[in-house]
Amino acid sequence: MNQASSLPDGFTALEPFVAQWGLSGTARRAAQRTASSPEAREAFFEAASPLLEAALTWLDDRDLATLAPAGRQLMDLMLSLGHVALAVEIQGPDEVKSAVWRDRMRIDRSTADQGISSCSN
Amino acid sequence: MPDAASSFQRIPPDELAWLGTGPIPARAYHDPAYFELERQAVFLKSWIHVAHVCELPEPGCFVRRDLEFARASLLIARGRDGVLRAFHNVCTHRGTQLVEEASGRQSKFTCPYHMWTYGADGALLSAPDFEAFHLDKPACALPRVALQECGGMLFVNFDPAAPPLRAWLGAYAERLEQMPAARATTFSQYSYEIDANWKLTYDNFQENYHLRFIHPRSGGAGIGGDNPFGYPASLGFDGPHRTQRIWSNPAPDLKPFQRAAAMRGLPAVAEQGLLDLPFGRDYLAFFPNLFVIGTPTQPFSHTVYPISADRSRGVVRLYWVGEDGNASTRFAREYALAQLRDIHCEDIAMIERGQKGLASGALDHIHFQSMEALCRHLFNEVDSRVQAHARLRGERP
Repeated sequence: MNQASSLPDGFTALEPFVAQWGLSGTARRAAQRTASSPEAREAFFEAASPLLEAALTWLDDRDLATLAPAGRQLMDLMLSLGHVALAVEIQGPDEVKSAVWRDRMRIDRSTADQGISSCSN
Repeated sequence: MPDAASSFQRIPPDELAWLGTGPIPARAYHDPAYFELERQAVFLKSWIHVAHVCELPEPGCFVRRDLEFARASLLIARGRDGVLRAFHNVCTHRGTQLVEEASGRQSKFTCPYHMWTYGADGALLSAPDFEAFHLDKPACALPRVALQECGGMLFVNFDPAAPPLRAWLGAYAERLEQMPAARATTFSQYSYEIDANWKLTYDNFQENYHLRFIHPRSGGAGIGGDNPFGYPASLGFDGPHRTQRIWSNPAPDLKPFQRAAAMRGLPAVAEQGLLDLPFGRDYLAFFPNLFVIGTPTQPFSHTVYPISADRSRGVVRLYWVGEDGNASTRFAREYALAQLRDIHCEDIAMIERGQKGLASGALDHIHFQSMEALCRHLFNEVDSRVQAHARLRGERP
């Protein structure tokens, strides 16, 4: 692992996105999708989507329960990327108008949240 | 290779004419008096889905469920004997609600008011100075509500004369047992409250007529070719319940990331044998307010609980077998949840708009076309119960 990075080697290009998108908890990731700007979502999608396959392959070689902090950070980034991809790739111009209604649907529970405190969303 | 453009055959409208073709009274969707009859004739007399067995794996596990239609809070618990039971969440001393937590695991339930203590089987175990009451403990057990299970899904019924759950579910009981939800050990969930009647809400999810108009982007994979509305491949009815087989689009419009996300989830689903289940394209609608979808990569249930004539609560659960076994599975499950939530948020926007339109009483009737047959069937089943109940009580239905 690169000492200057919080991410595993090979994924340090995503370092600028960690502060905004390296979030634990499905509801927090969903909320960040709504809170972010279109420019931030598009920049993250453009930088991270080409790394999806490599990141998941790297992570699949490791036990989720005992992931080191760098691996956990990469996992959280990829999970955020899923939310962002829906906004950028699918919803596009409809993202803004649907966000209001989406936030009415409270995420109560997610299998990704084992051991993570819940978040009001 | 079959031509993708000729894959769909629309169900002839005449095949569904037995359900009726006339207009539907609009007041059934907004009138508080009609809702009160529904509450009594439908919700207090039907098996209502409230939980899944995977929430209660061990003795002492419990969940609390508040059901506005019954003005009741229920405590559902697995006893030391392994048996699942449902009780009114109410201390038999003076009616105090016993449990505030939504779920948990404990062997005893103690009322904070005067420390009456019950076992997970509902029996009164102890009560301070109990001799002064001139009562027997067995007479002070928590009040039971009928609870039965099919395909992992737990249902309650407030009617002491209710038929067994399996008889109620009819021919679709076996199909429910072959849904991915029947094998689930965990689930993800989102929920919402909506300013709309429960039928208006539920009906949105019973017809595909709206897909291309309000889900042009999020629902794009389910429409196309010579089925521009994404109408179902088949429909079926059994007593008060109904089903549709979702049309398989031979050339779905999947975006690259969307396709990659789905592919990442497939290995685990295949390993679990979920791709081989017979009802993977089916939607099972159980009267009155539950439907279950068997899509292996996105298997979910949706329950619409009535709160009042113009307010409801929806609970959507994506059911999974096993915890997230690896990063790809975790990713695919979270993407599946977020994708489904995107579609549903577009629905609730339009449903609330519908309620606003109906609330004025401007319309005497609404209309269902043949491909909204499931909506008509639900109305027919509700209305026959409402009319019979009103006649019994000498009321205007």
